[in-house]
Amino acid sequence: MRASEPITVGTLERAGVTIAYEVHGSGDLTLLMVPPAPITHSRIFKAQVPYLSRHYRVITFDARGNGQSSQPSDPESHTRAENVADMLAVLDATSTDAAILVAHCHANWWAVEFADEYPDRVLGLVAIEPGVPYLGTPQPHWLETGPHWDEVLEDPQGWELNNKHVYINHHRRWLEWFFGQQLVESHSTKQFEDAIAWGLESTGSVLVAGEEGAELDPPSRQEFEELVARIEYPVQVIHGDLDICQHVDKGKAFAEATGGDVLVLEGAGHLGLARDPVTVNRTVKHFADRIGGVTMESHVWVRGASRRKRALYLSSPIGLGHANRDLAIVKELRTIHPELEIEWLAQAPVTGVLEAEGERVHPASRWLASESGHIASEAAGHDLHCFQALRTMDEILVANFMLFQEVIDEGNYDLVVGDEAWDVDYYWHENPELKRGEHAWMTDFVGYLPMPSGGDHEAYLTADYNAEMIEHIAQYPRIRDRSIFVGNPDDIVPDTFGPDLPKIRDWTEEHFDFSGYITGFTPPTPDQAAAWRSELGYGPDEKICVVTVGGSGVGTDLLEKAIAAYPIAKQSVPELRMIAVAGPRIDPASLPSHEGLEVHGYVEKLWRHLSVCDLAVVQGGLTTTMELAASSRPFLYFPLANHFEQTYHVRHRLDQYGAGQHMDYHATDPDALAAAIVSELSAAVNYRPIETDGAARAAALIASLI
Amino acid sequence: MRARYPDTSATVVRDGVTLGYEVFGDGPITVLLLPTWTIIHSRFWKMQVPYLSRRYTVITYDGPGNGRSDRVTDPSRYSADAYAADALAVLDACGVERAIVVGLSMGGQYGTALAASHPDRVSGLVLVGPSLPLVPPSPERAVIAEHFTMPYPENASGWATYNLAYWHDHYEDFTRFFFSQVFSEAHSTKPQEDSVSWASETGPEILEAEANQPTAASYRSVSSVAAPADATAHWSGLLEQIVCPVLVVHGTHDRIQPHATGVEAARITKGTLVSMEGSGHIPNVRDPVRFNLVLRDFIELVAS
Repeated sequence: MRASEPITVGTLERAGVTIAYEVHGSGDLTLLMVPPAPITHSRIFKAQVPYLSRHYRVITFDARGNGQSSQPSDPESHTRAENVADMLAVLDATSTDAAILVAHCHANWWAVEFADEYPDRVLGLVAIEPGVPYLGTPQPHWLETGPHWDEVLEDPQGWELNNKHVYINHHRRWLEWFFGQQLVESHSTKQFEDAIAWGLESTGSVLVAGEEGAELDPPSRQEFEELVARIEYPVQVIHGDLDICQHVDKGKAFAEATGGDVLVLEGAGHLGLARDPVTVNRTVKHFADRIGGVTMESHVWVRGASRRKRALYLSSPIGLGHANRDLAIVKELRTIHPELEIEWLAQAPVTGVLEAEGERVHPASRWLASESGHIASEAAGHDLHCFQALRTMDEILVANFMLFQEVIDEGNYDLVVGDEAWDVDYYWHENPELKRGEHAWMTDFVGYLPMPSGGDHEAYLTADYNAEMIEHIAQYPRIRDRSIFVGNPDDIVPDTFGPDLPKIRDWTEEHFDFSGYITGFTPPTPDQAAAWRSELGYGPDEKICVVTVGGSGVGTDLLEKAIAAYPIAKQSVPELRMIAVAGPRIDPASLPSHEGLEVHGYVEKLWRHLSVCDLAVVQGGLTTTMELAASSRPFLYFPLANHFEQTYHVRHRLDQYGAGQHMDYHATDPDALAAAIVSELSAAVNYRPIETDGAARAAALIASLI
Repeated sequence: MRARYPDTSATVVRDGVTLGYEVFGDGPITVLLLPTWTIIHSRFWKMQVPYLSRRYTVITYDGPGNGRSDRVTDPSRYSADAYAADALAVLDACGVERAIVVGLSMGGQYGTALAASHPDRVSGLVLVGPSLPLVPPSPERAVIAEHFTMPYPENASGWATYNLAYWHDHYEDFTRFFFSQVFSEAHSTKPQEDSVSWASETGPEILEAEANQPTAASYRSVSSVAAPADATAHWSGLLEQIVCPVLVVHGTHDRIQPHATGVEAARITKGTLVSMEGSGHIPNVRDPVRFNLVLRDFIELVAS
């Protein structure tokens, strides 16, 4: 799922070529994002658009040759003149008088020619790793391979792949070589995959046409230097010093020649906008602010001595799992620091629970891109490839981090509590100068684990992600002021983080404090349980089977299978009643109905139902299964296929408590499920007890920070 | 030792009165830090000068009556218009066409008078806790006008010491009280000491002359009071004439000029209001870091 959706999607036709464009956000000032097609398209700006469009109107378009635009394969269609004319057409089609141009690589050459031809349409230029001719130092591999462009090489290697015939016949090989070289930063697997995927939306022949088209109308050195000397609009260059597509000297020379500013990203390669999006975003916005003549806002600054203690609490927005435990922690935190003002940055459906409890949800929360929606969109049937879903959530994480950082910069918070707030933890480690306040990091699992279906490549990826996390913590121990593992050391899986990496348990014990598990409620005594059953309308002789799939919207399949099993099981157990809880994201009316079956949408305080039921059928999510374990209820749990956390981490923990009956969704048909329901209803339950002081312990660990 | 010594320390004579001024730095933008009530002199900008002069040309000067300027006893030299003329003389002496002008307290009047009468010389105006009679004063200060020229009671204390005769008899005692009110923030001993010391460089004769400035009766708000309607109209009118960008900085705990004054000044000028919650009357001394950052933001905004 994308982090922000366009307000307008359109296409325009120019001399038989279709150009696709989008408009995001609104405002008086417009930014036109110019991608260096045809090797890539507008999505290269995916980490910029959600943030910038909250402040300004942002137009993206697929330059000819890639994305949703036409892909002409003749060089004459790819001259600078044609690309310049496309830019004009996009501004006209969107009724944009003038814009700040934000261009990457050789799109900057189009940008400066466009500005020279249509000076009234350009307010400024952010030149990211600019590929303009003549200035600075050329990269030697371009000079060396240029003369052999049209030769058929026997066994081209390395930069020799920069060859017309390789482009055409081995398109992917060239893309992988090129982007592999550009992404000099470690842990760039996702950026690499994106770049290859976008490149492959075009073809080698079109890429050749793009290269050859650019050679059809080059200016002389003198002509170009004169053009640059005419530049009067403001220029901001952003350039990685390890860029081996466009040498950093080129960016510096361009800035010097135009009187512009240059931001050098030290240690960065050619894709700073993808690899260091936070600093790139802030630099672009700052530049736009200056051009827009943003006035100084009236505001209140509170003296240090006059401030009240303030905390910002981030509750993981994926499903509803963490809301109760976070509320329980906050309750304990307030007994220690009654004066503490707590605000929540949270998303639906968590916000609903918080507001019902009278908690203060920060108004910026409404701008958060939906992580829950993304996870739901990644699920198919009873299958959620959780690790890949987290990876493809990258643009949502950076969009939400940018918002978070604005909230933090303005809010005078003493404390940030992040219950699996991956965006905050990741980007503060990537941008440690932005950290403010004390940071308490909480999680209930440590370590990405590969699923067998992902093969060696996924094992490589999970190890790479784990290694990045380990390096982050080693390099910047000051980012996590407190690390809390919601559980106990025995709950940690016995695996390692990957080849040549530490054992997860050893590392976690070294770097975390342990709060014990936090259920967020106290299980009822037998007397209470009887009273609750009566309150909930469950008769003493009825057998209540609750089927629930959590709040994430993933789970229609399990609901349907359980409902299909119900009449079969009821034949053996006539007093069986099934309560199916679809959650806030599944329409109860979409499910079949039977006598004795009740289907509900959102159920408030579902844990009360779970804690007094006779049996539960659930997915493998930690919160629900541990609620059942804490109440010593029998339950069948079906981890989502390809969900590493449910498959390994949760199952390992439940095994520690001897809780629940693990089930395989795909190996269980309605008959088998009915049989399991019948048998589990009469099974003896003898789980290890779960601590009830977890919230207090976590709160004490957090409270000591302030 | 000072954190930053002036690059130029000189004097200018306007109409027979010698005024000492100092110039720091040589940046392309000039910031003129105005004097305030002459009970203290230009050193009250000491927390700003070193920082600002790294980027900008900063000019400070002493108004008549304190610092390196003549101890003038002619009341007419203490009107806001006279201060505005002094400021122009200093700008001229420095060869400065336009400056961002910053005025604290009474300096807010001087800056307003300057910006309204010479819009070509002022590119931006900053009013810090301005003494402008736009809202009713606090009850304690509202009574000053009634007793200012009366005999003071025995064992006078508090605002009762804001009294001409008391100044002559117990000047230092008055300054101690006054600056305890100016710096109402806890732990303000050093700013209070500094101010009392600067106050000792002038005396009651000078403050008396200043209090008798010809326009005092109509729009003086420090010693007088209850913001008569014509004074409010006069200063509102001047503020309305100001065409340059305006920044107002005002402490919410200002015991000398109510925070509402700053709110009103920002409203009339359509300026930016930065409220400093918990700050007193001289936030540039007591909260210098934030003040400097806010001032820099405004200067950069004006410069762009």
